[in-house]
Amino acid sequence: MHIPDGFLHPYLCVLMYFISLVSLSWAWRGVRRTFPRSLVPVLAVSSAFVFVAQLLNFPIVHGTSGHLVGGTFLAMLLGPHAAVISISIVLLIQAIFFADGGISTFGANIFNMAVIGGLSFYIVKLLSGSSSGQKRLSASVFMASWFSIVLGALACAIQIGVSPIFASAGGVMVTVPAMLFWHIIIGIGEAAITTSLVSQLSRFSPTVLSGLSMVRGIAYERRY
Amino acid sequence: MKGGTKAIILIIIGLAVLIPFTSTHPDGLEKVAESLGIEESEPIWSGLMPDYTFHFTENPYLTKLISGLIGLFLVFSVAWGIGWATARKNHV
Repeated sequence: MHIPDGFLHPYLCVLMYFISLVSLSWAWRGVRRTFPRSLVPVLAVSSAFVFVAQLLNFPIVHGTSGHLVGGTFLAMLLGPHAAVISISIVLLIQAIFFADGGISTFGANIFNMAVIGGLSFYIVKLLSGSSSGQKRLSASVFMASWFSIVLGALACAIQIGVSPIFASAGGVMVTVPAMLFWHIIIGIGEAAITTSLVSQLSRFSPTVLSGLSMVRGIAYERRY
Repeated sequence: MKGGTKAIILIIIGLAVLIPFTSTHPDGLEKVAESLGIEESEPIWSGLMPDYTFHFTENPYLTKLISGLIGLFLVFSVAWGIGWATARKNHV
């Protein structure tokens, strides 16, 4: 879902940079206020994991592939603020070193993947409610990670659809259904991977899931 | 941080094992662009290792493994640095 340079109208690039900067400052303030230094190793390892996971494309139908974005996964490990920062770091390294995702479109990519991904924390919170049951929680994580991909794809589709080169190919009327079609399927992959990762971690290393504790209303605890 | 070292080793093993099974097909957005006949223009910045390639090897397995390891190291370091600089110093 990484938008390359040239796909977006320059004004839209500026607007998306602005929106992403506002979101990043929200995330940064949240980390500063709540994220303890003892969890920095978890932030570093889980960000590195997401970078590697994004390299491993899984095939879907008709010669198309998808890969984990990892927003909901990181939100379950780190909470929403640090998750936004974490995916932004992954996107930054991808753009600077590997030219995966453009520089002009960096703001849009942060919004579509990091901001929507990190905010999917609140979808988990909303869906799981006050219940602490494992099944309800897994279902919430599944839905939230699926939504994070579909909503990110929708945002991406609108952004490219209103930009000149896609506008001449039919605009949002074409890009929205096409992007949604693929990402409804890719989102199932994201959801399956995220749900199994979170349930494995909650079985073997539950203390690492700080974001999950936050869903349940428990603040970050000291663990290292 | 024993658990962290273990996790990093698991990630590297996972990468090394899963690379042969990864798909080289276009992703969702690339597919949409392709089906509409839109080609990517020259990027503003072509990166230090554009599209995860290197000049010294064309072996797809090695290319992916090396870029994975470099990226893993870079992301780990940057995240550690930013995390350390930003995170709250004291516990509640």
